[in-house]
Amino acid sequence: MGEVELSCQAYVKMYLHAALFPRCSVNGLLLSSSSTGGAVCITDCVPLLHSHLSLAPITQLALTQVDVWCSQTQQRIVGYYQANACVSDSSPTPCALKIADKIAEQFDGAVLLMLDGSKMSADYRVPPIVMYERKDSRWTLKDKHTIMMRQWEETRAVASQLLDTGDHMTLVDFDSHLDDITRDWTNQKLNHKISELSCPANGTI
Amino acid sequence: MASVSELYDVGWEDMRDNRNSEQIVDVGEELISEHASKLGDDVWIIYEQVMIAALDCSRDDLALNCLQELKKQFPDSHRVKRLTGMRLEALERYDEANKHYDAILQEDPTNTAARKRKISILKAQGKSTEAIRELNEYLEQFVGDQEAWHELSELYINEHDYGKAAFCLEELMMTNPHNHLYCEQYAEVKYTQGGLENLELSRKYFAQALRLNNRNMRALFGLYMSASHIAASPKVSAKVKKDNMKYAAWAAAQINRAYKLAGRGAKENKCSVKAVEEMLESMQITMS
Repeated sequence: MGEVELSCQAYVKMYLHAALFPRCSVNGLLLSSSSTGGAVCITDCVPLLHSHLSLAPITQLALTQVDVWCSQTQQRIVGYYQANACVSDSSPTPCALKIADKIAEQFDGAVLLMLDGSKMSADYRVPPIVMYERKDSRWTLKDKHTIMMRQWEETRAVASQLLDTGDHMTLVDFDSHLDDITRDWTNQKLNHKISELSCPANGTI
Repeated sequence: MASVSELYDVGWEDMRDNRNSEQIVDVGEELISEHASKLGDDVWIIYEQVMIAALDCSRDDLALNCLQELKKQFPDSHRVKRLTGMRLEALERYDEANKHYDAILQEDPTNTAARKRKISILKAQGKSTEAIRELNEYLEQFVGDQEAWHELSELYINEHDYGKAAFCLEELMMTNPHNHLYCEQYAEVKYTQGGLENLELSRKYFAQALRLNNRNMRALFGLYMSASHIAASPKVSAKVKKDNMKYAAWAAAQINRAYKLAGRGAKENKCSVKAVEEMLESMQITMS
């Protein structure tokens, strides 16, 4: 199976989403804007829910809307992420597998990414993520060496900087959007802030 | 005077315990260290609040400080003993915490707070089945405890046991007939269960949730989706189909209106508004 590359923007938003709702399970979608042949390049993510992950209506609604937005912006859904409420448990729940299955029907190289709550402290040396890929219609643990994070140190610094300044409070997931529809789940403002902070390291994103 | 619907116009964030721990730690720490002597007897309740917030933020130093003050003042209090247990929970020393709670329960078997802590330990350890069993036993004794019914419904939802989750929510709707959130969640559970009968029930309860609070967007989208699904089903009669298309069209118009109102003056949510508009259009095409 090919390599997976995770961008700073996608990682930081996932991380902040989990940090914003420490007592809840959270999930979201991984997006890609490039269509290179071999590697899956995760360039962005959309935070979806922080409550009742296994109820269908809101998940269906969110998937449809993100799909529409993706086709408007030349992106596609390439994966799914989840962080469990129970810190010690980073295994995919049945609901995670189900949604990831749906994504895999549309996109061959789909990935399922679990955030490991026990390793999320700011000084942890490796990304606190566990990645699964679909092999022979089952989700299996992906070899760590095929996951690439460009400039992990910088990405980690951006994430903890935003956490320190309280900017995680500005992150909007689909759940909060439904509570107040003037809030934007595409998180343009936060994206801008992330690219500003990571710019010196990454050049333009 | 506030109308009934306004009284219940709170989101899930407010219904769940929205603790705002970071802020409480910031303000509380200063309050305690600089002004404790001026607070009189109010200081004890502040110690308790700040301690719980400190546990949330893993500030064990602050939590311990508060706890020691409380222990000095109330050496035999069950409430303080429970806080001692909660600190042990935060340190993941669950066995020791359980011993504290058992000691409280031995002296006072009706101490509901200690029993709930024991259940939350099971939850933290990922033992959902045991947590569900304990919570059921608890509810046999304290059948009026709404927080417990809600917790049980969430546990069942997590376990995909939607029939039992629906039962818990029915219980909650019966005691809170004006709460639109229980209605809406019941509808979501029924929708998830699937099948024409459940879908029709879910459409009715989404509609009821909207009647109780017409700003509930989840219910509005839910009504739209459930009605569209029923209208698209090959099993329904021409009349049912026509009625449900009418409901769906009404909901779509309301959704459009809500987003137009929300989009006024705000550029920020332009992307999400565009996505909704196109989604509604595309769904209408598949229906006709």
